[in-house]
Amino acid sequence: MIHISDLQIRFKDETVFKNFDLQIKPGENIAISGESGKGKSTLLHLLAGFIPDFSGNVMINTLELCPENIQEIRRQVAWLPQETFLKMPTVKELFFAPFYFTHNKKQKPNSKQYKELFNRFNLPKDILNKKSKEISGGQKQRLLLAACLLLDKPILLLDEPTSALDQKIKQTITDYVLEHKNMTILSATHDAYWINQSDRIIHL
Amino acid sequence: MNAVLDIQYFRLFAGMALMLIPLFILWYYKTGLVKATIIAVLRMVAQLLLVGLYLEYIFKLNSLWINIGWVLAMALIGAYTIVQRSGLNYKILLIPVLLSGLISITLTDAYFLGFVIKLHNIFDARYFIPITGMMMGNTIKNVVIALDAYYNRLDEEQNLYRWHLANGATQQEALQPFMRDALKRAFNPMIANTAIMGLISLPGVMTGQILGGSDPNIAVKYQIMLLITIFTSAILNVVLTILFTNRVAFDKYHNIKKNIFRNNTKKN
Repeated sequence: MIHISDLQIRFKDETVFKNFDLQIKPGENIAISGESGKGKSTLLHLLAGFIPDFSGNVMINTLELCPENIQEIRRQVAWLPQETFLKMPTVKELFFAPFYFTHNKKQKPNSKQYKELFNRFNLPKDILNKKSKEISGGQKQRLLLAACLLLDKPILLLDEPTSALDQKIKQTITDYVLEHKNMTILSATHDAYWINQSDRIIHL
Repeated sequence: MNAVLDIQYFRLFAGMALMLIPLFILWYYKTGLVKATIIAVLRMVAQLLLVGLYLEYIFKLNSLWINIGWVLAMALIGAYTIVQRSGLNYKILLIPVLLSGLISITLTDAYFLGFVIKLHNIFDARYFIPITGMMMGNTIKNVVIALDAYYNRLDEEQNLYRWHLANGATQQEALQPFMRDALKRAFNPMIANTAIMGLISLPGVMTGQILGGSDPNIAVKYQIMLLITIFTSAILNVVLTILFTNRVAFDKYHNIKKNIFRNNTKKN
């Protein structure tokens, strides 16, 4: 499913990855842990095509990570950014934006689907009627995570998916997300509970 | 109609004393804009006086190649000004900005001078140069506002762009909110200004033509057509500039290149 060999990434004078190898099987839940600055987000950014300067071989679902394949690769992933302050006027626009893209139109959830998920994620029923600036960072993180799940892509790239959540809701959400055995989930996280629930831990 | 009353040079320079009022206000509120204002006004006066001399000579010559050369020079200065004001990299963006300016001006010039006014020779210096100049002058500010809004927002809100891109959007789809925002910012003031035209603002061309002795009805017709042509030219120029610069401002993975910004201090 994801095969990385002999990866090297350098930012100016700093080597972030050197001779790095990683194999991930379909449906695996992988937690990437390690101190800040060790390359957790960089690894997710690489798989989403945000790091153009790397050497080595990266295969995602039989597709080599290269400019020719990047569009197809991005159609197979859903990515949750670490920074969820995305400037869109309304919560509705923020949540539904990915479902208006040509490739995702079939995934657009009906009201029953998203209301059920909002309820599970403890999001207010009227959240879609609010302006983006009216909701908290934790609510935004849960909203975007819900959108990622509803996109129903084979690969989920989650950057600190529970960083803005309180302990109680953290466990509910971790359990629910990691139940998705049909998805390969790669998460950069500091969260001990998430790490413990994952199939495998990559420590950077 | 009466002949135009000339302004004597002495009266012109004496009249410029009016600038003391804005200069005093800018100085009083410590805006730091006094020097920039003085330089801008001196440049404006020198440039316009020189243009007056050049135009008199160019109108007499009325040579096809000199007229085209003049317009090309104006387009180059316009493109340079746009890139400079937007804080973008000259090496990467000057050519696409120049190209989009030339295409939009060629199309709207051909329409206005060839189709609307039905000039026998659309390169006639008396029409070709001032009308092209006026269209360029009016579109530059729209392109500057649009480019600034587009690229600075893309830089500041890279996560929004990436959120769309990494979740299945084509590059065009991911850029759409930024294009929409750039168009809104560039054209909202123009739409508002167009709506009040004639009520609280009398446009420059019309006033100039009336002062120059033209029939007000003819002046109004010119003004209406000019405003429509300027609007079209400006929007074409903005859209083409963004589309052309898109081709050089992103890497092969559709990430925005950091070196398109002149003060590049960020890393990927």
